[in-house]
Amino acid sequence: SDRKELDIAIGGMTCASCVNSIEGGMKKVEGIYNASVTLTTGRGRFVFNPKLITPEKIAEEVEDMGFDASVIG
Amino acid sequence: MASQTQEFFVDMTCEGCSGAVTRILEKQKANGVNSFQIDLPNKKVFIDSSLPVEDLLATLQKSKKEVKYIGPKA
Repeated sequence: SDRKELDIAIGGMTCASCVNSIEGGMKKVEGIYNASVTLTTGRGRFVFNPKLITPEKIAEEVEDMGFDASVIG
Repeated sequence: MASQTQEFFVDMTCEGCSGAVTRILEKQKANGVNSFQIDLPNKKVFIDSSLPVEDLLATLQKSKKEVKYIGPKA
């Protein structure tokens, strides 16, 4: 299927507005269907189309926004 | 072009947000950003750079936060 889920550990978030800007920003990235970020666990769950975007590119997009990102899987 | 300090409004609300802007600007130190200061309480960012304002705006907009150019610092 062209829908896969990915968990990324995101560092540097300290408030809800960081979470909102990551979720809002990532949802606009081509190939990403959904982005839900949890502040307490520091994890982002992304639903994406592997034909359009790769896990590494998703982590790169998060880092482009100024946060640390490492793919959990 | 001589380097100048440019003043921007960036809608940062907490350390996490200013931390993100800091990391974004740190990455730009290799190409044109000399130094920068972030004033979180007043939501201001001062960048000393020789780059055109458009480039600095594009860089700051990576944070996905609202960004406005105020002007060169007096």
